[in-house]
Amino acid sequence: MIATPDARTAGSFRDPAGSVIRSRDRILRVVRPEFVAELEAFLSTQLARRLVESAALIPSERIPAELLEGLHADESLYEHERIPFPSYPYEWPAEMLHAAGLLTLDLALKALEEGYGLKDATPYNVLFRGPRPVFVDVLSFERRDSCDPSWMAYAQFARTFLLPLLANRDFGWPLQQTLSGRRDGLEPETIYRTAGFVQRFTSPYLQLVTLPTWLAAKRREDASLYHPKPAGSVEQASYILRNLLNSCKKQLNSAEPRADGDSTWSDYLDHKSLYSPQQLAEKESFVTEALDLVRPATVLDAGANEGHFSMQAARRGAAVVAIDTDPVVVGSIWRRARAENLDVQPLVVDLTRPTPASGWRNQECMSFLDRADGAFDIVFMLALMHHIVVTERIPLEELLALAAEVSREYLLIEFVAPQDLMFQRIVRGREVLYSHFTQEHFEAAAKPHWELVRSRQITGLHRWLYLYRRRRAKP
Amino acid sequence: MSKPHRNPFSTFGSLTLVAIAILLASPSRLFGYADPGTGAFLYQAVYAACIGGVFYFRKFLGRIFRKRP
Repeated sequence: MIATPDARTAGSFRDPAGSVIRSRDRILRVVRPEFVAELEAFLSTQLARRLVESAALIPSERIPAELLEGLHADESLYEHERIPFPSYPYEWPAEMLHAAGLLTLDLALKALEEGYGLKDATPYNVLFRGPRPVFVDVLSFERRDSCDPSWMAYAQFARTFLLPLLANRDFGWPLQQTLSGRRDGLEPETIYRTAGFVQRFTSPYLQLVTLPTWLAAKRREDASLYHPKPAGSVEQASYILRNLLNSCKKQLNSAEPRADGDSTWSDYLDHKSLYSPQQLAEKESFVTEALDLVRPATVLDAGANEGHFSMQAARRGAAVVAIDTDPVVVGSIWRRARAENLDVQPLVVDLTRPTPASGWRNQECMSFLDRADGAFDIVFMLALMHHIVVTERIPLEELLALAAEVSREYLLIEFVAPQDLMFQRIVRGREVLYSHFTQEHFEAAAKPHWELVRSRQITGLHRWLYLYRRRRAKP
Repeated sequence: MSKPHRNPFSTFGSLTLVAIAILLASPSRLFGYADPGTGAFLYQAVYAACIGGVFYFRKFLGRIFRKRP
């Protein structure tokens, strides 16, 4: 017997066809009786099999309903592959939202050829295996009325993919704020007010923002609007839908984030860091030795910057979650991981203000720390400590305690002394606050949680690398 | 028996009427639970009408230029 029925509230519940339950390391989907035949029919199609084989769709398996306590007698139960580290759209850089949108449209186009459609089009239908998006909502597929020329999820696709990406690229609205504050994305009217006069008449603003805003103003109170009206023929309906989906694809590509984005933290290791090639090689060799010793299956790289050490871990077989506060550098990690096919999932997460739990009763989307709790064999905190302690004013002891909550076993951390040039750059006249901040102080602060495995100073720098192991096994 | 003669312009006229009818119509049934919006829904209706017209126009051209056996 698995789980409790109460857990159903914590998953997905908006779809009347079913709900998702998280039960420890298993992902279960309860399907209501009137939708089981349709789901079974879809899962047995060549389309569904091909999508699962190509890793575009999550695998699903029907399991005995008796396995779940409290299930209604006529409900059916399915189990899905568990994505190791689920993430939410408000943690993605623009590149990942764009990739999730492309996957959604590709699936809608393929489904159309087989007589199916997607009944919703939200980024919450997509999770990431490393840098690769996977569609996880099998109940989203349904047989479409072959004469129906409309896609009911079109507006949702525009609100949750196209408009946030456009607003991010053209107005600099951060996706993190846009999508965490608005579950269902941006309305065309919101963008219309911000867009310039000329911009309103250029593509894709004309189709996505201006025309919808004008049309809505004229017909807002008309409930008859949504009454069904079929196309003249099956071929015509398919033709219209195929064109609509392809035009969405063009609009999505026109909103694609630029690859040459620049920020304070981009190209850091190449141009802005104080590491010489020799010193960087020393750091790399310490990380390599640590990886060879620990052989982690999972790594959290906190403060990953452009993911130099995330890639190093992924090349040695680890599944890496790389977090940083800067969406530009996180986007560049995604591009590289995708190009090199490395198992790195980059996320825009600030360790000092980690993603909170959100949604209905704060239970729809888990907090970052709830997902991270014990999820990683080793945590990297390289060139991060001084930012947390000085810029964010988080006590060192707190940082080391947090690392012990997240890591199952090891911590790889870089101690940056107040004499360090980068430390001095951010301390800005507050040196007196850090007069106690010595290597001895750091080692004493680590002691309650961590046992030293090895450490070394980086030649010529006021920086030390430490590999620690937990003193007590994680409960 | 010889094939009955078709006036391509009357075919085009009826197809145009269909296209105009679609232009005035709204898209069809409600599938999912996602909010279909108002402006975007109407935009889709206009889009369907235009592209639906293109569909019939292409068919019409296809009939004109199709080689007869």
